[in-house]
Amino acid sequence: MKFRKLGFAFICVFALLQTLYLSGQSTFILNGNVKDKQTGESMIRAAIRIDELPSLGVLSNEYGFYAIALPRGKYTLRVTQLGYEKYVQKIQLDSNLSWPIYLSNVNTLQEVVVESGRKNDNLSKPQMGTETLNMNAVSKLPVIFGEKDILKTLQLLPGVKSAGEGNSGFYVRGGGADQNLILLDEAPVYNASHLLGFFSTFNSDAIKDATLIKGNGPAQYGGRLSSVLDVKMKEGNNQSLNVNGGLGLISSRLSVEGPIQKDKSSFILSGRRTYADIFLRASEEFKDNILYFYDLNMKANYKIDEKNKIFISGYFGKDELGLGDAFGIDWGNKTGTFRWNRIVSNRLFLNSSIIYSDYNYNVKLKNGLTDFNVNSNIKDLNAKQDYTFYLNPKNTLRFGLNSILHTITPSTFSGTVINSTLKTGRNGLENALYISNYYKKNDNLSLDYGLRLSAYSLMGGDPYNVYKDDVLVNTFRLDKGSFGKTYLNPEPRITANYRFTDQTSFKAGYARNIQHLHLLSNSTASSPSDQWIGNSYNIKPEISDQLSLGYVQGWQNNRFELSAEVYYKNLQNQLDYKDGAEINTLADVESALLFGKGRAYGLELLWKKKEGILTGWVSYTLSKTERQIVGINQNNWYNAKQDRTHDLSVVGVYTINSRWSISSIFVYNTGDAVTFPTGKYFLQGQTVYQYASRNANRMPDNHRMDISVTYDKKSNKRTQSSWNFSLYNVYGRENAYQINFKDDPNDLSRTQIIQTSLFRWVPSVTYQFKF
Amino acid sequence: MFKKYFTVVLLSTLTISCEKEIELPLDANQSILVIDGSITDEAGPYSIRLSQSIPITEVASFPGITNAVVIVKDNTGMVDTLQHEKLGNYKTKKIKGVYGNTYFLEVLFDGKKYTAQSTMPQKVGLDSLRINPFRVNGETRYTVIPVYTDPVVLGNSYRFIQKINDTLDQNFHVFNDNLNNGKVNQRPIRGGTDSLEVKLNDLIDIEMQCITRPTYLYYYTINQQAGAGPGGGTTPSNPPSNIIGGALGLFSAHTVERKKIIIQ
Repeated sequence: MKFRKLGFAFICVFALLQTLYLSGQSTFILNGNVKDKQTGESMIRAAIRIDELPSLGVLSNEYGFYAIALPRGKYTLRVTQLGYEKYVQKIQLDSNLSWPIYLSNVNTLQEVVVESGRKNDNLSKPQMGTETLNMNAVSKLPVIFGEKDILKTLQLLPGVKSAGEGNSGFYVRGGGADQNLILLDEAPVYNASHLLGFFSTFNSDAIKDATLIKGNGPAQYGGRLSSVLDVKMKEGNNQSLNVNGGLGLISSRLSVEGPIQKDKSSFILSGRRTYADIFLRASEEFKDNILYFYDLNMKANYKIDEKNKIFISGYFGKDELGLGDAFGIDWGNKTGTFRWNRIVSNRLFLNSSIIYSDYNYNVKLKNGLTDFNVNSNIKDLNAKQDYTFYLNPKNTLRFGLNSILHTITPSTFSGTVINSTLKTGRNGLENALYISNYYKKNDNLSLDYGLRLSAYSLMGGDPYNVYKDDVLVNTFRLDKGSFGKTYLNPEPRITANYRFTDQTSFKAGYARNIQHLHLLSNSTASSPSDQWIGNSYNIKPEISDQLSLGYVQGWQNNRFELSAEVYYKNLQNQLDYKDGAEINTLADVESALLFGKGRAYGLELLWKKKEGILTGWVSYTLSKTERQIVGINQNNWYNAKQDRTHDLSVVGVYTINSRWSISSIFVYNTGDAVTFPTGKYFLQGQTVYQYASRNANRMPDNHRMDISVTYDKKSNKRTQSSWNFSLYNVYGRENAYQINFKDDPNDLSRTQIIQTSLFRWVPSVTYQFKF
Repeated sequence: MFKKYFTVVLLSTLTISCEKEIELPLDANQSILVIDGSITDEAGPYSIRLSQSIPITEVASFPGITNAVVIVKDNTGMVDTLQHEKLGNYKTKKIKGVYGNTYFLEVLFDGKKYTAQSTMPQKVGLDSLRINPFRVNGETRYTVIPVYTDPVVLGNSYRFIQKINDTLDQNFHVFNDNLNNGKVNQRPIRGGTDSLEVKLNDLIDIEMQCITRPTYLYYYTINQQAGAGPGGGTTPSNPPSNIIGGALGLFSAHTVERKKIIIQ
């Protein structure tokens, strides 16, 4: 069998590593943690280099750990991290050495929003399609309602498209919104939006770092086709107690962080709530409208000893929306992560995690004396073992396993006047085994290659129906806890980087990604009633194969950088519905599904200015994304709704002095692919529209400019405050949010085309403080 | 269903949306035959209307097709060739609408043949109409609940035509029994638009039809078409029609029952 061979391949790789390991014994290991001197936060992706051996170099991992193998000798250790003072230290290596590194924050004027660890880091690492956000600088960019938001900032990068104006949903390289793996401290977040997408679930005060990988994720990531957004919460200052917060027009935030025991343990607690509903209550017209959300982030860590550290983090968020007691809807995510970082040996770093994630929504409808409720829920219990093995100066291995038990309960109905549905949900077990190696041959060539083996086993719960040509042919009834079919898929991945000169490099990558969970949504915007479904006997894992090529060119000592990437992506086992499918009330939604394939390709350009009083970037994407699904559009290829030909973002931050800065954003994109009617007819006394090809039309082009001014007030070392004034949509462009066709009320024989737009000139003020 | 509420609450709360009429470059339309035919349990004659679709930008006159051959048969062997009356309306002469009977439509037009069939469902009686008042933002609003008992067997579908003071409510109200099979209906006819709201002392006229599953699907799909764009609903498509041969429209055998109520 194919899979036995794969298992054998794994064993061979391990055996090979074992020999490599033994041959590497003549060197010593230098390792430790990289931390912020002021707050004790661990530093991710700090670049560690040895002056005497310029071709060596490692980056600290997600937990701030680094390790480097060196022969006996005297060395100069040089550590760089953007926004921090340079760290240079002479060391003598006669034995294995544990060497903690503390970096001092410089309150630099020139922060760039999209950073790379070292100035020319992008030139030397094989990682492709990867962007990391600098949280400090995100706060300077203008954003709607003054609520800074990492998801909206990400949409300004090439290959990432907004799901709609003011919307935090995003599409990466032609994939759907459900094809992004969004992780908050390793826990998957199933619905990362609040209030129909206008806000994301990420409270930027509690976020330390966010990295987006566009389809070329290393082997430790898996489960979604298009991208990985890895968001890490702050650990909490372990030196002193800090309070910071922000007051805005729509919402306010407050965070408290500090040591529990100095240097040993710390915590952070951060909350946010919108308060538009309080104003609404005061008005007669809207007093019954309910509309708010809140979220709470918590994290604590404890250093057991120099080699062991544990973390507990949690997120709890909820949205409430309603109209008196006639209608109500609420939904929310809960996540919890327990982690144990362990330095097993001076070369081996282990992170063990237990993760819980829960997403649910409830709808209540009330008519006089009758009630009607809908509930849906997805729960994950997840265990992970992730090893980083610093084999030798040239090879860093990453391997591990991950096991997730999914409990998916689709829409269930209850109420006084209906038959409560008898659905209890289904279980699914998702397992993955992975190994990858970062191989740095020399200063010019580096490779990151690996294999992920993912498996999804159907488990008991509601019966699985099997359909063939729309006819029910079989039903599998599995008891709770018992297993049915298992899908097993290898996911090979490789990226390579070749640096020609100090300022030029070429990259290439291939990755296969598998997705076992699928979002069923019949709306174009993200709606809480969208539901997730696992693989079944009808639904096979979605498969994506992406091939990409990249070129990076720097100028003037890499103060300017241009990166260009092209990609081609092939998608298999894509899902859609039959026309008119009632996905929420059907006894078995699988009877209404259609399957097909997709393709996406494009060119992404990103030009950055990384230093100076004016920093920023211009990003441009030229792309195409299509689907072909049997039963839709007469089985012909059609544009996916997120297909947009051109997408341009211009971002600039101008620093006037240490107190004032101005920033501005301009965005332009082709309108979404939509289906407009071509004709009309009269039936049963009403106008009915006639449609031709699917998504063959375009919404009008979108463009707008936003501007914001930030004033930083540093009264003394301890207290800081800042004011941010922003104006969204400076020139009041009416971008089309929705286009409707309807009879002209004054002349019923005429059809009106009505465009609805949102957000013209939205001003906002945010006050941010820290003490 | 929820999505509509959702957007309304959100947008009304933010009160920042604005609407305007625009022009768009639209694709050329292919003119297609439209069949709108019903056989009911009321006394005949029944009518089949034939027309053609026109481009969106044209003023709707929907010229009737007057030179087609229209035949309705039933499963008892009755064959009825319809007579063109006026403006594309064809009337039956002898066929009778009976529960459980299957009706076959044949239209010959422009050298092409179109066929459809529909079986009249068993009648479910409309027992009464109930007024359902509810308060939102300080004012009382009304909807009407059609009271009927859904039969035990799953798969019943209904359509309600609502007239408010003799003005037709421009919505296709269709219900099925996916959720309340075998129960007394408590679901109100939500309807009207801003300009056609149900107020105190209004006369509400409800026509209840027991329809087939394909007829339900046809109207349900039309209801799902809620605008294009990021704020829109489902990607629209032509509703699945029971007419074979490439025509638009519907051939429906259904029952009819009417009741009136004054909101008080």
